Amino acid sequence: MLDLINFYLVPGIVLGSIYALGAVGITLVFAILRYAHLAHGDLATLGAFLALAVVSAIGLPVYAALPVAMIVTAGVAVGVDRLFYDYLRERPKIVTVMASLGVALMIRSLVQVIWGVDAESYTRGISRPENWWGIRLKDREIATVAVMIGLVLALQLFLLRTKWGKAMRAMSDNPDLALLSGIDNRKVVTLTWIIVGGLCAASGYFLGLNTELKSLMGWQMLLPMFAAAILGGVGRIEGAVIGGLVVGIAEELSVLVLPSEYKAAMAFAILLVMLLVRPTGLLRGKVL
Amino acid sequence: MRKSSLAFVGVLLGATALAHPASADVKIGLLGGVSGPIAAMAPAMIDAAQLAIQQVNEQGGLLAGENLVGVVGDSGCNPQNATDAATKAVNIEGISAMVGPHCSGAVLAAANSVTIPAGITMITPSGTSPEISKLADKDTVFRTVPSDDYQGRALARTLLERGTGKVAVAYLNNDYGKGLAEAFKAEFEEKGGEIAGFAAHEDGKASYRSNLAELADGGADTLVLFDYGDGTGLTILRQALENGFFETFIGGDGMKSDAPIRELGAENLGTFYASSPVGEQSAGLEAFNAAFKAIGGDPNAIFVTTSYDATFLAALALEKAGGDKAKVHEALREVSNGEGEAILPGEWKKAKELIAAGTAIDYKGAAGDHNFDANGDVPGTYALWRVEGDTFAVETEMK
Amino acid sequence: MEWIGLLNYAVFMAIFIGIYALLAIGLNIQWGFTGLFNAGIAGFFAVGAYVSAILTSPYAEGRIGGFEMPVVIGWLGAMVAAGAIAWPIGKVCLRFRSDYLAIATIGVAEIIRLVIKSEDWLTNSARGITDIPRPFGDLPYVQSQLAYLAIVAAVLLAAYLLVERQIASPWGRMMRAIRDNETAARAMGKDVPFRRLEAFVFGAALMGLGGALFAHLNRAITPEAIDPMVATFLVWIMLILGGSGNNRGAILGVAVVWIIWSMSEILTDRLPAEMAVKAKYIRVFLIGLMLQLVLRFRPEGILPERQREAEISTDSAK
Repeated sequence: MLDLINFYLVPGIVLGSIYALGAVGITLVFAILRYAHLAHGDLATLGAFLALAVVSAIGLPVYAALPVAMIVTAGVAVGVDRLFYDYLRERPKIVTVMASLGVALMIRSLVQVIWGVDAESYTRGISRPENWWGIRLKDREIATVAVMIGLVLALQLFLLRTKWGKAMRAMSDNPDLALLSGIDNRKVVTLTWIIVGGLCAASGYFLGLNTELKSLMGWQMLLPMFAAAILGGVGRIEGAVIGGLVVGIAEELSVLVLPSEYKAAMAFAILLVMLLVRPTGLLRGKVL
Repeated sequence: MRKSSLAFVGVLLGATALAHPASADVKIGLLGGVSGPIAAMAPAMIDAAQLAIQQVNEQGGLLAGENLVGVVGDSGCNPQNATDAATKAVNIEGISAMVGPHCSGAVLAAANSVTIPAGITMITPSGTSPEISKLADKDTVFRTVPSDDYQGRALARTLLERGTGKVAVAYLNNDYGKGLAEAFKAEFEEKGGEIAGFAAHEDGKASYRSNLAELADGGADTLVLFDYGDGTGLTILRQALENGFFETFIGGDGMKSDAPIRELGAENLGTFYASSPVGEQSAGLEAFNAAFKAIGGDPNAIFVTTSYDATFLAALALEKAGGDKAKVHEALREVSNGEGEAILPGEWKKAKELIAAGTAIDYKGAAGDHNFDANGDVPGTYALWRVEGDTFAVETEMK
Repeated sequence: MEWIGLLNYAVFMAIFIGIYALLAIGLNIQWGFTGLFNAGIAGFFAVGAYVSAILTSPYAEGRIGGFEMPVVIGWLGAMVAAGAIAWPIGKVCLRFRSDYLAIATIGVAEIIRLVIKSEDWLTNSARGITDIPRPFGDLPYVQSQLAYLAIVAAVLLAAYLLVERQIASPWGRMMRAIRDNETAARAMGKDVPFRRLEAFVFGAALMGLGGALFAHLNRAITPEAIDPMVATFLVWIMLILGGSGNNRGAILGVAVVWIIWSMSEILTDRLPAEMAVKAKYIRVFLIGLMLQLVLRFRPEGILPERQREAEISTDSAK
């Protein structure tokens, strides 16, 4: 039983938290801007490498690098929107999806030019887990889950309680009405990208913290993150979190029943079953 | 718009035309998976190939002093990009021989649809699939990396000799990992060993702890890991060490990379061993290591020795063939058939003089002696390496 | 001689453009004319490539095969198999909104890719299938490339004419009606789900044919060829850039994207030799940037969908 928790559930939850951070961003873009953002994974890679730059060049402690990376990536995300997405807003959404694919290629090549292609890590050496009454946890795993929960709660509070949060929700529910009632569309879009960029950086950072940093790390996470966002019900923050956790845990548990080379298929198998049984996602999605 | 897109194509075509500086350069194509899944490995391999080219040019160049030029192409580790890059290298750049591509699927496609019909000799430094041996290639496709089958079997015998009778095997689900794992399994079980876990994994996942737990369930305390040390293999090694799965770790040549030492620390790798090819005369490897270090390369990077050898061999064969593309493949066999004066890595001047004098030469490279068999494969000689200080040292020969 | 080299390169590009044009036309039927978001092109491409490979290649130990059928049978088989895979997917998923179809098809394509990569008995797993016959493959290099180009061009022309005829027919009008205003089409008594399924299966069959042509060109098919980047996303970029809803636009889009993709390498090779490897990353950056530029100046595609005269008045409802 302890083995099941230590070797399947704990890694599943940690992995799920990383997916969740990415999926929340994807679901936000879906809800407010209404397209699939394919550069999401590579933006996460950029965030992870920015944190590495902070750690290795400035010498900040590893955990202090996270907020810095989040802020810079948020800035990059806003810049990308201004440069490449903004003028396509009136066009069919598919055009923006293609633009985001181009952005994904550009960000990836920038990362490869600046940081090279070697596997990197924030700290040299290994960190063995500590024993908490039989359950083995590492600091960084606790940090991953805690920060994920913290960020999502903060985001929820922001959306529910603040003026701009309400504006974002209004944009998601009914953009025309939102515009009529005087909400500044541009500010909402900018705000969305600030949040999405920050979340991207966090997911990339924690993936790097728990494994290594590689130039393709984000791209390889893209499909499971999308699966998580859809699974939870598009447009639902808490749905994306649940979706991420379900995908993460299911991937780890799948080894018990499936040959391990099919681990990556697990997210999609769940998704297909979900589409058949409950096409709105676990929590009923708002948009789409 | 149509005009501007025409203009745009025109600019690109202009760039194509510019690609023909009128000079007597002799070109070798260096195709590698620079973008795509093995992006982390490709740069060092290409650097090693460039080292061979640099040495040739420093020591008198090719034939009557012509400059040898390496034309780098991105094969992207997929057939689409590989055939595209090979077509450009052969037809636009006019290469005389090709080193690469790196991935087996890219090798198969580029060989079948470009180099074999065009009669260009191809030497791949890292395509390990047995399908490459089966190509109807008019004897123009070679490889300097020994087949997975040989290494897997040799590793199985070595482990049994060292008293390891029970292991678990984890392998990357591609032609490289699968080939090694299956050869290892067959030999290990035949010789009386017990495989207590045998599972493939996909590239690029964030967690492999459940895979490790499942493998450890079999009760083995040695994990044999056929993967790349700067890719998923590093993640698995890290997670195994951190969570206390297995005591001893054995890798194939893909794991003999600096990345685990750099990222995990040598102090944590006391029980980590990896097999990797060496020449019968270790002098060849030492000569390469010194030269590669001198240009800032990392001699422990994956497949750098085979890349270097492939390029140096291509240059030797070109010299021997008098620069005639169509004869490179025959010449390649002549300079490496095990008979003649031994040539070590970097000894271009000596080789050039011997070839001019009509003396037979035999290249003994950094990754083995490269006596190609009928399929263009090399048997290879291996050693098992351990981590010592911040690098690898030979633990034992592998028979 | 120089011009022979340039000719060979041009012929190779033309073959590739022809094969990808089949994929783009297949996608155009699904997305451009019917509005079905298929994000799993790689899956149908793979099924076509492998089915044709298995049907036509000689016996190999450890996997099914050894049928050694004529290439034409292989290609027909590829179309039938890709269509047959598309049928149940479409049957189940077409009742959802387009975004769900996207996710479902991505999922199916990834599962197909993993099966192909892992099952020895079916596809020789990661090593792929080799020894696939190539029509006129025994001719010398230039002739065999030209012969293959002729075949690809003939197949493409046939597909193009067939699709154009369908689009111009009442069937095509009905499909556009369904795409632009499903409710109205349904109210007029059109069997919407069945028509969509028809388009989905037809498009998938063309993708399967593209896969088969690709496998026979290289005489080998390996799992690396069905990576989502090169087999799904790339086709989408081609269609959207060229002009969704317009077959000529789709073909032009394929040509433009391939020219950008391929020639950008020649461009970045002009960088100094010390940067030979970095130049390849810069090339990827350039590809991304050029896509942005085309989208910036021609967001509706290089050749947008033609408005058919009789439809203009009704089309404003879009």
